Order: sequence, then structure tokens, then C-alpha cells
Amino acid sequence: MTTTTAIPTARQRAATPAERRPKREREGPAWVFLSPWVLGATVLTLLPMAVSLYLSFTDYNLFDPPHWIGLRNYTQMFTEDPRYWRSVVTTLTYVVIAVPLQLALALVVALALKSMKRGKAFYRSAFYAPSLLGASMSIALVWRALFNDGGTVDNLFGTGGWVNRPGWALLAVALLTVWQFGAPMVIFLAGLQQIPAELYEAAAVDGAGRWRQFLSVTVPMLSPVLFFNLVLQTIQAFQVFTPAFAVSAGKGGPADSTLVYTMYLYDRGFVASHMGYASAMAWVLLLVIGVVTAVLFRTSRSWVFYASEGDR
Amino acid sequence: MPGNRTKGFCASAVALALCALAAACGGSGETVGGGKVVLRYTWWGNPDRAERTEQAVALFEKRHPDIQVRTSFSGYDAYKQKLAVQATGGDAPDVMQLDYRQIDQYASGGVLLDLAKQKSVLRTSEIDPGLLATGRVDDTQYAIPQGRGTETVVHDVRTWKESGVPLPRQGWTWSQWAATVRELAKKAGKPGATDPGQSEDAFEVWLRGQGKSLYTEAGGLGFTADDLTKWWTFTDQLRREGAVSPAEQTTQLDGSVENTPLGRGKAVSDFNWDAPSSGYLALIPTGTALAPMPSGADGTPGQYFKPSMFLGVSAHTGHAKEAARLVDFLLNDQDAARILGATRGIPVNETIRERTAPLLKDFDKTVADYQASLEGKLKDPPQAPPSGDNALQSTFQRDYDQVSYERMSPREAAENYITEAKAELRS
Repeated sequence: MTTTTAIPTARQRAATPAERRPKREREGPAWVFLSPWVLGATVLTLLPMAVSLYLSFTDYNLFDPPHWIGLRNYTQMFTEDPRYWRSVVTTLTYVVIAVPLQLALALVVALALKSMKRGKAFYRSAFYAPSLLGASMSIALVWRALFNDGGTVDNLFGTGGWVNRPGWALLAVALLTVWQFGAPMVIFLAGLQQIPAELYEAAAVDGAGRWRQFLSVTVPMLSPVLFFNLVLQTIQAFQVFTPAFAVSAGKGGPADSTLVYTMYLYDRGFVASHMGYASAMAWVLLLVIGVVTAVLFRTSRSWVFYASEGDR
Repeated sequence: MPGNRTKGFCASAVALALCALAAACGGSGETVGGGKVVLRYTWWGNPDRAERTEQAVALFEKRHPDIQVRTSFSGYDAYKQKLAVQATGGDAPDVMQLDYRQIDQYASGGVLLDLAKQKSVLRTSEIDPGLLATGRVDDTQYAIPQGRGTETVVHDVRTWKESGVPLPRQGWTWSQWAATVRELAKKAGKPGATDPGQSEDAFEVWLRGQGKSLYTEAGGLGFTADDLTKWWTFTDQLRREGAVSPAEQTTQLDGSVENTPLGRGKAVSDFNWDAPSSGYLALIPTGTALAPMPSGADGTPGQYFKPSMFLGVSAHTGHAKEAARLVDFLLNDQDAARILGATRGIPVNETIRERTAPLLKDFDKTVADYQASLEGKLKDPPQAPPSGDNALQSTFQRDYDQVSYERMSPREAAENYITEAKAELRS
């Protein structure tokens, strides 16, 4: 018995005086209360998006009025701009390094925290803190100082400055993201606590060791949460900007090694004043993120296990 | 009475929203407050410059009780972006400080007022004609230079002297410079200079030493891939020998003196503009000195007096005359000059320059002496760079990164740059 049928629909019961008035009038208060959001969404999100879509077909440079140039920005991007492709490869490399590392670390720490008897709250907060601070410029600047030549990492391990070496700079940026594993960790922790203890007891009775329990109980039971984190972090990773910007002092260097997609977008828009081109890049990014998310959802059917499915 | 309440609520909500919108959109700063004309004046700089500017502005307001000046300032990068957005919205400040690289774009974008039309209040007769011409685009005086600077080989004097390598002298050539940095590297144990390969400014000096230029008068490229290949082969060779800074050091350059190899104590000298070189004093307590830039093989000087920054007036200002008056005051007034000192470079007004020179102290004096030593020996500055140059400056540095990290040959990188530059200048 679901609860929805308990409420009589408008047709079933006598209409109240308020309902006898035209529909438009009844909706009035709703619109008034919605208006801050509607205004915000329209003026701050939808309108700029529409303008950006329009600009992506123009040669707008901030100063002269935009001219319609059709698909030229898009064709230039795909066929004539080697740096565009370099930024695509850099971003993909970054996603492939940062996301799995971050999720693995978040899961390991969540598992450790779950089995912890004392001080759980403290460690949970301590590990979560970098996620709160992480998006800020100041942390990224500290990171740059740490990995710079003469910085702490250099002094401790004699590695030289990571941020000044093309082969290492992107890794330094990725590590900054990995370090901010707090948000997925908290979600993992919540997911772990949802797994019924009986399942582990039953598995133990069947003679499963800790590793076997992890593979056969934890992983499948946690898969929806894992999927959620994967989708969220992947979307975020595609849009990485602040760490790359700060670590490379706004240049995507050395030798374009940290020129992630959004950095190049920023470079085209705000350094070179090619707003049309930058808008086109933004729309391609939006589409790509949409496609990647769709693909993740598609593959999820074969590996994500929802406990409720068993009931059907 | 739900119906009535809804209506009243609706109306007040709409009114509230409209008020908020009106408040957000209104107020361009040109309103007349208490019968006074209000001017907005913005610049970039540091707190020291701000303090002196405020004093000068206060004096201006005292002299012109009918004008009120609202000032604001920020760091260069933030200023540049904010001004671009304001200018795009037709909301540029009445008086604005501009960089050489902004003039062309702003002038052709219709943002700037023709200042020649304000002759009655804005005097330019005491500014060197060559320097004044740098604010002209298509024969229209869109901006007036406010100070002048020139490039220099700033060096750690003590290390240089102790190494026993002869000090730089007037008229030295690029090949003498190369020999010197090689010897410095050997005797001082660290590179003799910052690798100049990444610097479009240093390249320009080298190019001008051969009678060429960065841009043609029509705004195209003034040099070929061969020229650039030659320059990058020259600097790359020095880098491989360790005579100039390694790639890991060079790539950290970001315009601040703290991040130069000289500032970090990892090289003996650096190419920089003269006024900002005061920043090295705090980093190298044993002292720095300014030497002229190397010249071409036949002694042709490549360096020039560059307008360090400009003043321009918005084309949309409602108070052109008052704005021009403020510009005139900042450039030509004795008392203003005394307050401002050399915060924006050495003053462009020649009478004022002569009068303030003896009053300058410390590094201001070093810069003034250095400029005096070059007076009459340099060629005219190039015209303002074309709009695309803003982006090309960083492209130059980036493409050289590929050379110094040995990912491309000087030839490949040079051809890359030429392709990018042509595309940039076309659009």
C-alpha cells in the first residue's frame, strides 16, 4: 500500500474556493516564492549559456562587435590547433592518473576509519579538511612552494623541483587532487556503514578471509557508492583548473606540460581575447563530459549491484 | 483574504526585484554629486604608488573644487582584466592608466578619446616628440606616456667584481656579452645571466641591433623564422654550456624579481626594465648596478626609451575637459611631479625631469643616472605593438620552453611561433 493513493485528487473532492479561481492565479504564490531562483537561474545561468553558445559561432574578441563565422572556431579547434589536442591529451592523462588514485586512497582510508574504535571523528575531520581547503588558491600556492626547487619535497628527497620539470609537473598537480580525497572518503564511509554486519558474519562462517570478504561482500555492496564517486570525481577532474593554474603560475608550463583543457580555454579567452574560440571550447567540454558520463552509466549496468534488485 | 495578499505580495516582490536590478545596473560614477563633476581614475601599482597618487589627486581636487576624483587601483593582471571587461561594457573609467600593449586594442576598439582635441587644457609641448608618438595610433593621440623606462643588464656587482671578469661597458656587443657570461659562469660558479631566449623584450633589442623590428608599421611581423632561429640557437647554445640559466630556472619567470635566477641567487645578472629593478635591492643586499643592453655587431643600439605607462581618457566620458585637466595635472604640474617622484618611471615632461632629477634619492637616482647616461644615444621607440601582441608575449616564452627543455629544435620552435603569430595578428 503506497501512501500516494490516500490523498484524494482534486477531481475526487469538492474544490476549495481558492481552487475555483483560474489556474494562473493559483500558481501566483508559487512563482513569487520561486522567483529568486528563477531569476538567478535565468540571469546567471541560462542567459549566459545561450550567449556563450552564440559567441562560439563568432570571432568575438571583447572589443569589436562579434561577427558570425559559422563553424570556423570548431573546425580550427579540431584541425588546425595542435595545442588544443595537447591540452586534450594532458587532461585525459590527468583524469586517468588522478581519479583512480584519489578513489583508491579514499576507499583505503574509509576502510581504516571504519574499523577504528577511538578517535574516529577526529581523523574523519582531519582527512576531510583538505577537501574543504583544497579548491582554494592558497593551498595550491603552498603546493607549488612544496614541489618547487629548494622546496620541502626537494630538500627531503633530493628530487629537484617537480613543478619545473615537464615530466613531473602534471603529477604534482594530480597529487594535489588526490590529497583532497576527503569528500569521496566520507561518502565511502557512509556506504560502508550501510553494509549489514550479518553479511560479514555469514561470510566468515563460510570460511572467507578478510580479503575474500572484501571482494565478495564489500565491493559489490559498495558498488553504487563507488559508481557515484567515480561519476562525480570524473566530472570534476575534467574541469580541473585551480591546481594547474596555481602550480604553473598561470601558464600551463613548463613546456605546456600542465596545460589542461580549462587552462587552455582560459588562455584563449582571457589572455588572447578570443572569447568566441573559448566559448566553443567550453561547449565541446560540456558535450564531452555529457558523453563520458553517459558511457559510465552504460557500463555501470554490468558492475554496479543494487541490493534492492534482489527483491524483484 | 489569500487572493489579496497574494497580489500585494506579488507587487512588492516584483518591486523589490526591480529595485535590486536597478541598484545593480545603475551608477556609472558620472553622476553629479553636490554640483561637482565626478571623475573615475584607475591605475595599477603597489601601495607606495597608491599613497603618492592619492596625495597628488587631493591636491588636484583642492585646485579644482568643482571636480571630485574617485580613484581605484589593483595589481597589473587583475587591473588588465577588469579594465577589459569595463571597456567592453562601455563603462571604462574617465581617466585610466594604460600599458603600451593595450593602446592599439583600446584605440581601435573605440574606447579612447582623441586627446589632441583637448589641447586647450592638456599641454604636450614639453614631451619628447618620439616618446609622445608612442601614444598615437593611426595619427590620433589616444594616450599620453606618463613615464619612461629602458631595459638594462641588472647585475650583482660584488659577485661580478670578485670574479675578476671586466664589468660591462657602454656599447658592448652581443658576442662580447656572450663571452662575458661564459667567463662569469666559469669564474663565479653560476650562470652569468638569465637565459634571454624566453624574453620577447630581449629578442627585440637584439633584433633592433641589426636594424630590424618586432613588427612592421602595418602591424605584421617584422622578422622571419630565420631571425628567430638564429636568436634561439644562440641562446640555446649558451644554455647548454651553462653560461645562462637552465630551463628549470628560466621557466619560473613570471614578471616578479623574486622569481628570477638573479633574485634567487642562482645567476649573476638579469635582463629587466630599469624601474622595477629596485626590487632586487632587498634580495641582493651587497648591491646591484645597472648596465646598458648589448648592441648589434656594428654598435647599433637595440634598446630604447619605452613609455612605461600611459594615461588615456574614455571616449564615453561625459566630462572630457575635466578628465583632460586631470591628465595635464598629473603630467605637467610641478607640485604633482614632486609628490609622484619616479613611481611611474622618470617623468616625461622635460622641464620637470630636469628639475626633479637632483631631488631623486636611492634607486630613483640610480635609474635617473642610468637613463641620463643613455640620453641621445638611443634610437626612437617602435610604435605601439599591434593588438595580438598581448598574447604573443606569452607564446614567445612558451615556445622557447620547448627549446630549453630540448623538446624542439630552435628551427621547429621558431616556425611554430611564426605560424601562431601570423594567426594571432590576422584575427
